[in-house]
Amino acid sequence: MTTALVEALSLSVMFGLRPVLTEVNLKLERGRAAVITGANGAGKSTLVHALCGLIGLSAGQARMFGQDIRRLRADDRRRVGVTLHRSMLYLNLTARENLEFYAKLNACQKPSEQAARWLERLGLGAVAEQRARDLSRGMEQRLALARAMIGEPELVLFDEPFASLDRQGAAVVGELIQELLARGGAALLTSHEPLTVKGAEPENYQLVSGRLLPAAAQPSRRTAWRWMLT
Amino acid sequence: MLTGFCALLHKDLTLERRGGRVVIELCVLSLLVLVVLVVAYGPETGGRPESAAGALWVALILSGLPGASLAVAAEHENDCLTGLRLSPLEPATIYAAKVAAVALSMAVSQAATLLLLVLFFNLQFDLNLLRLIPILLLGTLGLCALSTLLGTITSRLRAGEMLLALLTAPLYVPELIAGVKASAAVLSGASLAAVVLPLKILAACDLLFVVCGYLLFEYLAG
Repeated sequence: MTTALVEALSLSVMFGLRPVLTEVNLKLERGRAAVITGANGAGKSTLVHALCGLIGLSAGQARMFGQDIRRLRADDRRRVGVTLHRSMLYLNLTARENLEFYAKLNACQKPSEQAARWLERLGLGAVAEQRARDLSRGMEQRLALARAMIGEPELVLFDEPFASLDRQGAAVVGELIQELLARGGAALLTSHEPLTVKGAEPENYQLVSGRLLPAAAQPSRRTAWRWMLT
Repeated sequence: MLTGFCALLHKDLTLERRGGRVVIELCVLSLLVLVVLVVAYGPETGGRPESAAGALWVALILSGLPGASLAVAAEHENDCLTGLRLSPLEPATIYAAKVAAVALSMAVSQAATLLLLVLFFNLQFDLNLLRLIPILLLGTLGLCALSTLLGTITSRLRAGEMLLALLTAPLYVPELIAGVKASAAVLSGASLAAVVLPLKILAACDLLFVVCGYLLFEYLAG
């Protein structure tokens, strides 16, 4: 039996007395992608936060690599990449310095070279010496994606990864996900619009009022993101 | 662990070098405190070691609290603390690096404060000042350890700086008393051997604050 890279077992989250996630069950194995769609406020970001252990659960369990998320070892945290709404970048550091810093935290070999490689990969070579504060929203989002990927994680949780990205940026993200799945990793994406993942058959879910349900239908070509169709 | 600690410390010092916010604010606050106190004391009491020691520690605590608050608040900008929590770093390492960064910034401002103290309080520039260094280092470490830990909670709140002062000051009182006593004695010409008890109190409080921070940071930052 293969161990799921990420798993939610009857996971529930309440903010005060208000239930935000109710009895969420999810399992993502190697080489698989899951897309969770939902309206604004449906609980997508809360689910990502809960799976990462950033917020407390009112019931249930979140597991990564077979371990309870609260007891995840440092070595295993290195195997996870996360993008959230906020970029988690230091605004007074340059794009290169930000990536070098996160490369060092992830104990990457040759952090400078890794940072340069990921800057080029995300099309940020020309702005490498610009402070994150001076980057456009789309550029900051690309840098945040590079930050999440720099440790070559096996599992990546993308919270609205295509927000603010142009066609080219979205295409690069598509390639990154494909490569991740090809090397046996797993990706969990959230979006308020349906997505398809090129070269993979993602498990599609909908979050409705905090409950995770199988998506009713595959996304139509009209609603699918541009990078998926090219 | 050491790589992560060094990376965090290097990042904090780079940000400080670039912005200079903490050191500049600490120096300006120290200057203001010393000016106010030297005017309040007047020329007669101003030259006494007890007055100088009191002024030094008032400057230390009043400038140190906003310094720690600023340093911790920097991690909340753009949710960077979440980035650190998601990294493989142990929370205790994050805490240790933050304390080290705040302590280094505070040490720079204290060097400036000490020079201003010599000028304003008409002290002799001699060996007595060097004897102050271990006392100040112990006091700084305790203040940084305590205020960084408490600043982790208060920096997310409205009126966080005021709350930080309210929480930190009572807990720091033992160090404050020991520090003032030891500094006054040393400025009067006593050797360090004569102030062993206050030094022990400072060291014991430092140990307590550092261990508490090391153990509790994980829960308070979450």
